[in-house]
Amino acid sequence: METLLNIKNASRTIKSGGNSINLLDNIDFKVNEGEFISLMGPSGSGKSTLLNCIGMLDNFTAGDYTFLAEPVHKMREKNRVKLYQEYIGFVFQAYHLIDELTVEENIETPLLYKNVKSKERKALVADMLDRFNIVGKKKLFPEQLSGGQQQLVGIARALVAAPKLILADEPTGNLNSKQSQEIMELFSKLNKEGVTIIQATHSEENASYGSRIVNLLDGKIITD
Amino acid sequence: MFKNYIKIAFRNLLKNKVYSLINISGLAIGMTATILIALWINDEISYNDHFENKATIAQVFQNQTANGVTGTGPAIPRPLEFVLRKDYKDNFKHIVMSSWNNTRYLQYGDKNLSFGGNFMQEEAPEMLNLEIIAGVKNGLIEQNSIMLSESVVKALFNDENPIGKIIKMNNQHNLSVTGVYKDIPESNDFSNTQFIGTWDFTISNQTWMQNAKTRWGNNSFQLFVEINENTTMDAVTSKIIDVKKKSAPDEVEFNPQIFLLPMKDWYLNSNFENGVQTGGRIENVWLFGIIGAFVLLLACINFINLSTARSEKRAIEVGIRKSIGSKRGQLIAQFLSESFVIVLLSFVFSVGLVLLFLNGFNDLASKEIIFPWLNSSFWFASFVFIVITAFLAGSYPALYLSSFNPVTVLKGTFKAGRFAALPRKILVVTQFTVSVALIIGTMIVMNQIDFAKNRPAGYNKEGLIQIPVMSSEFSGKADFMRNQFINSGGAIEMATTSSPTTSVWSNRGGYIWDGKPEGFQEDFAYSSVSYEFVETLGLKIIEGRGFSREFPSDSTAVILNKTAVEYMGIKDPIGKMIRDESNTNPEPPIKIIGVIDDMIIQSPYSPVKQMMYVFDAYENSSYYNVRLNPEKSTSANLATIENVFKENFPNIPFDYQFIDEQYGSKFRAEERMASLSKVFTLLAIFISCLGLFGLASFVAEQRTKEIGVRKTLGASVGQLWVLLSKDFLKLVVISLIIGSPIAYLMMTKWLQKFPYRTDISWTVFMIACSGAIFITMVTVSYQAIKSATTNPVDSLRTE
Repeated sequence: METLLNIKNASRTIKSGGNSINLLDNIDFKVNEGEFISLMGPSGSGKSTLLNCIGMLDNFTAGDYTFLAEPVHKMREKNRVKLYQEYIGFVFQAYHLIDELTVEENIETPLLYKNVKSKERKALVADMLDRFNIVGKKKLFPEQLSGGQQQLVGIARALVAAPKLILADEPTGNLNSKQSQEIMELFSKLNKEGVTIIQATHSEENASYGSRIVNLLDGKIITD
Repeated sequence: MFKNYIKIAFRNLLKNKVYSLINISGLAIGMTATILIALWINDEISYNDHFENKATIAQVFQNQTANGVTGTGPAIPRPLEFVLRKDYKDNFKHIVMSSWNNTRYLQYGDKNLSFGGNFMQEEAPEMLNLEIIAGVKNGLIEQNSIMLSESVVKALFNDENPIGKIIKMNNQHNLSVTGVYKDIPESNDFSNTQFIGTWDFTISNQTWMQNAKTRWGNNSFQLFVEINENTTMDAVTSKIIDVKKKSAPDEVEFNPQIFLLPMKDWYLNSNFENGVQTGGRIENVWLFGIIGAFVLLLACINFINLSTARSEKRAIEVGIRKSIGSKRGQLIAQFLSESFVIVLLSFVFSVGLVLLFLNGFNDLASKEIIFPWLNSSFWFASFVFIVITAFLAGSYPALYLSSFNPVTVLKGTFKAGRFAALPRKILVVTQFTVSVALIIGTMIVMNQIDFAKNRPAGYNKEGLIQIPVMSSEFSGKADFMRNQFINSGGAIEMATTSSPTTSVWSNRGGYIWDGKPEGFQEDFAYSSVSYEFVETLGLKIIEGRGFSREFPSDSTAVILNKTAVEYMGIKDPIGKMIRDESNTNPEPPIKIIGVIDDMIIQSPYSPVKQMMYVFDAYENSSYYNVRLNPEKSTSANLATIENVFKENFPNIPFDYQFIDEQYGSKFRAEERMASLSKVFTLLAIFISCLGLFGLASFVAEQRTKEIGVRKTLGASVGQLWVLLSKDFLKLVVISLIIGSPIAYLMMTKWLQKFPYRTDISWTVFMIACSGAIFITMVTVSYQAIKSATTNPVDSLRTE
């Protein structure tokens, strides 16, 4: 197995008032390609912060972070975005679809940012719609969809640029159990197709879909 | 990519209709104002553009200093022409002596109509580059030639070919038509030159002009020149500046300086103060340019404020876009294209509004501007204007919105209001500062006009008409006509004058009197008048009496105005003599028989000039001043007088002016400025209120929950209203504190140009301040009361 990312001695400290707070404390974390990892822990344990830092939306304040052999912690913002556009897709608890865009346009947006050609874009989007069985809904706006359907669109959007890594922050947090199950099965299937997945979750059941469980508490990894 | 941005922009517009309406209407109104002002400015600065050689044409001006005060004017002496032609001709392409614009009757067949025109030397058509449509361009060679404009030809000749035809001028002189030129359009200094007669013709008919040939002291003529291409106005001026001093030693005491005023300055830069060029209409161009820019700025501020106020709504979208791979630059591009779309839409609406209001605006500004549909530079300028406005309005929101941290905004802990509040407050204060300054400024302009209008004119302007009688047919008939008019019942009195009642045509010096100070260089306004002058105009005698038929010696008498008595320093003026200083051919001495209270003849904003009214012994009159019969209606009086006139002068068109209208025209420039600034002030207030209304809606929306909680805790509607309104009120009060002194300083400076001016009254500031506060309260209260009266259960449930 190839190493996808490697985090060494990484911390994230913020100042609040006069005190510094360690959101992440000396994390050592290595992910190989093809893994399906569940980050678990109570609220405030640092799951989301770790996901955001891996996803380059946030930065570690100390330590090394290597992604596909590239030292992320030494990179400039512009190159980070490039790396990120290429290899990472995000799935959110609240779906975070753009309300003013249709299903089709939401899925297309990451490709626009990557400057993919129009014809290719259309093909990739059509492919996704097909794959998730939402062709009939492509002209609808997010508010016209159920939560489960919105999350499907969210996942389709995360996948459309063919990332190596999907980061999912409580992807089923707003869904009922049946919808949750469907989403987790989808993740499982994607994982089998070779996509690496890291999800943050409270649910033991969701975690059981994964190949590895990492427990966090107060910004530290306690079991791996 | 761009398509995607535009799509989002449109969907956002449709989704937030109130917001879009406020934004687009505000911007459209602001842009309408800016476009109208731009068209107006363009019209002003392209004055005289009709003349291809605008850059090289000039009029010869003269500075003269008397008693330490330098006066500047275009009137020059005749010998100047000969010296320029003889010693300086290398500098000039054309030298053209010209009369002032005179009104003359032109008759052909049974048509006899009056037109304005000039008598000019033969190079005039060449210099003015007249477009000849019939006949020849050099048509001013023979003394009895005349060239006519197209519209004069249409009026006199119907379809007949005018070339070579003889027309009669003032029922007296036969002139042969040699050329027809296309009308010189409005917005040009020669637009009222409907005919051009020859210079030699006008001289041959007037002895005083012939006598002026060698008189350096007789400044009564105009001289236009076109300079050669290889030289400049300044270079020529520096050569000719002392030419009069060198040629006329007698004139040295007045330090005459001859200089060129370029054609481009005639309209915009023709004010002189003590010999120094001090601007002119160009100041209004700047003023309205600044007002236009400010109105646009106000509209852009609305856009900025509403965009940043709405940022909480847009923040999530920014977070999502960043999390799916958007670079900041791409977000900035997106927000800028949104503002571009809004500005473009606003522009389309504003073009509609401009078309709708252009006629009204033209009336207001006395212009004939047409919308430049086919002018490519207008459209290019519009495009630049749209891009600049889009950047002005969109840059700050784009930079601000694109700066959000995706982690914070997606977590939902982001509260934009607090971060963005200060710049927004500063912008609101800017808006209201501008609006308040405009309100105060406009009110002071209006006060000044009222002040000058209420100044006593010194005579009774109402029910008084003047009839021009410059043709020789009128000679010797004044008394007869006076009786005819009075007997007809249409008039109760009549007097003749050698200049119109509302302007000074003649100034004189060269007098001596007892007690005249040594070296005093006197200068009087001068008019010759007939017997019943005082009675006809309703002037107030302070001392002595008016001219009277009972005193034959009144033929050598003079009436002075009050200022003249003070100016001359005479005590007990009645019975004192004024003598002509000339040694060789002195005119008979004249006796002061009366002093009248000052009457305003020239500017109502300036002190009245010292004036002599001498008795018109030679019937050298230019106007009949007729006092209409107050017992009858004006129209009946006019009909009666016209009949009497026609009976006696069947060949002369009956022409008349109301004196009060003539007097009123003295205020026109300022009134025009007042009405324009009224309109733009209203627009500025409206735009500012629109923005305030938008902001109030957002604050009310943001604080819905807070209001709900406060209501459940027992807050009254009144208390909530105060809570929601006081922040805005505070901003407006700050604006008043900043805006008032700015307006005070600016208007104090503006008023300086009027010697007769109003004081800036504190009531102006009172009215402006209470007005601004009232408008703010009305604007803000709607939202405040609306949200204060909402059922708290509803507002809390939305969370």
